[in-house]
Amino acid sequence: MDERNLHERQSQAILDGEAELAVELARQAVEMGANLGDCVDHGFAKGIREVGRLWEEGEYFLPELVQGADAMKAAMAILRPEFLKDGIEDRQGSRVLLGTAAGDIHDIGKTLVATILEANGFEVVDLGKDVSNEAFVTAVAELTPAVLGMSALLTTTMPRHGEVIELLRERNLREDVKIVVGGAPLTHRFAEEIGADAYAANAMDALGAVRKLIGVKA
Amino acid sequence: MSCGIVELLEEKVVLLDGGMGSSLIALGLEAGGCTELWNVEFPERVRAVHESYLKAGSDVVQTNTFGANSLALARHGAGDRLGELNRAAARIAREAVDSAGHGLVAGNIGPSGLFRPPVGTASPDEWRSTFVDQARALAEEGVDYFSLETFSDLEEARVAITAIRTFSELPISACLTFDRKKRGFFTLMGDTPAKAFETLVAEGACAVGANCSVGSGDMLAAMTELREAASVPLVVKPNAGLPRIADGRAVYAQAADEFAAEVAATVSLGAGAVGGCCGTDRDFIAALRSELDDMPPR
Repeated sequence: MDERNLHERQSQAILDGEAELAVELARQAVEMGANLGDCVDHGFAKGIREVGRLWEEGEYFLPELVQGADAMKAAMAILRPEFLKDGIEDRQGSRVLLGTAAGDIHDIGKTLVATILEANGFEVVDLGKDVSNEAFVTAVAELTPAVLGMSALLTTTMPRHGEVIELLRERNLREDVKIVVGGAPLTHRFAEEIGADAYAANAMDALGAVRKLIGVKA
Repeated sequence: MSCGIVELLEEKVVLLDGGMGSSLIALGLEAGGCTELWNVEFPERVRAVHESYLKAGSDVVQTNTFGANSLALARHGAGDRLGELNRAAARIAREAVDSAGHGLVAGNIGPSGLFRPPVGTASPDEWRSTFVDQARALAEEGVDYFSLETFSDLEEARVAITAIRTFSELPISACLTFDRKKRGFFTLMGDTPAKAFETLVAEGACAVGANCSVGSGDMLAAMTELREAASVPLVVKPNAGLPRIADGRAVYAQAADEFAAEVAATVSLGAGAVGGCCGTDRDFIAALRSELDDMPPR
């Protein structure tokens, strides 16, 4: 099988959410000595980008999104050790901390962001929903993420984002972490006003924002 | 009970209530606190919210039990307090209705928060068991009907209805939450209103509808699709629109009267029961009452 054919099958396996097939195709790539970077860029990652696009378009729904992301993670679990063997840095160290604001139990959007980020090779620590300001700050101090992402679906809980940023400033932690905020009631202007580094309107937007903030190319 | 929800829906457009969580936060509920614990810690404040809605003209108040299933309560370390919290909530709502001299009590049931595979690991048995426990506690204390809300998985809502039907014949209203996609309205799992409502009615729902996720404008845009999909009275409960930021604070771009006008427009298009979800308060319900009172009888 030539590599272009392999890439197509890899991309399709992600698109179909076939984790076992994705693993098999990742192994095959390793065994035949294929260029693994190309397998990610033109194969698996191409598939997950297409899954994201179909989600945005309303053609794919949560089950398809999750299955695609799971297949992607399974393939990357095979490839990652090979990259490390070759001394190629993957995105380890690009840890992203996520959570929904205190008092807010809407966490589906945030979970989608976690899924998309993980599928694209980021290490995600998901603090869950209804996360207290203090818990955010403690986790930033202890886990030293590159990016903190906070979500809120309610006008009554979105002010927590600004409070967390203020707390981080007080503890001299603000300069150590980039901050992305998102959720239905939020806007660019709100993100700017509370001193966040970026605003993300949706999960794909969040991926773009995180990449931009830490200087990773798509 | 002289007149239940089924009869009331035949008789008139039913005005439901508005948001509970945001109203309790206004009364001092700590951000991050467990809303349902207030049924035993501050029952008088929960009752005050019910009373404010009844005074604003609500025909129905919903018990403060949206997250009072054991799976959701467990996340607050209160998984073993299901019975106590549901019974207290039903009692408080009944007291408010009795003292107002009007209104029905709807036993509110929300989703477990746990998804089935491939998204999560929840099983139908796990869902069924906690919904039976919750509905039984509410029924024992005496609710007039059950109101399922904000389900994003049709299958979980279906399981909840069948769970209730194993022991109770009380009417069940079932609302899912739909998102606006390019091709129309869908649940998170990809079900259309047409498929969802057909399933829910087949299981015995006396009313079906949409709540949360979108504001009244989007809900209005969905009305044709929703109305055509529903063969029983249609419930419409949007959020308080999308807010904007003014002087660093979140303010609703949509005032109560604009919300009320748009929701009243859904009534003209066939909604049979209306109310407000996240972010709505007694002002929204009072404004909606006045819109409904001004409408010609159907």
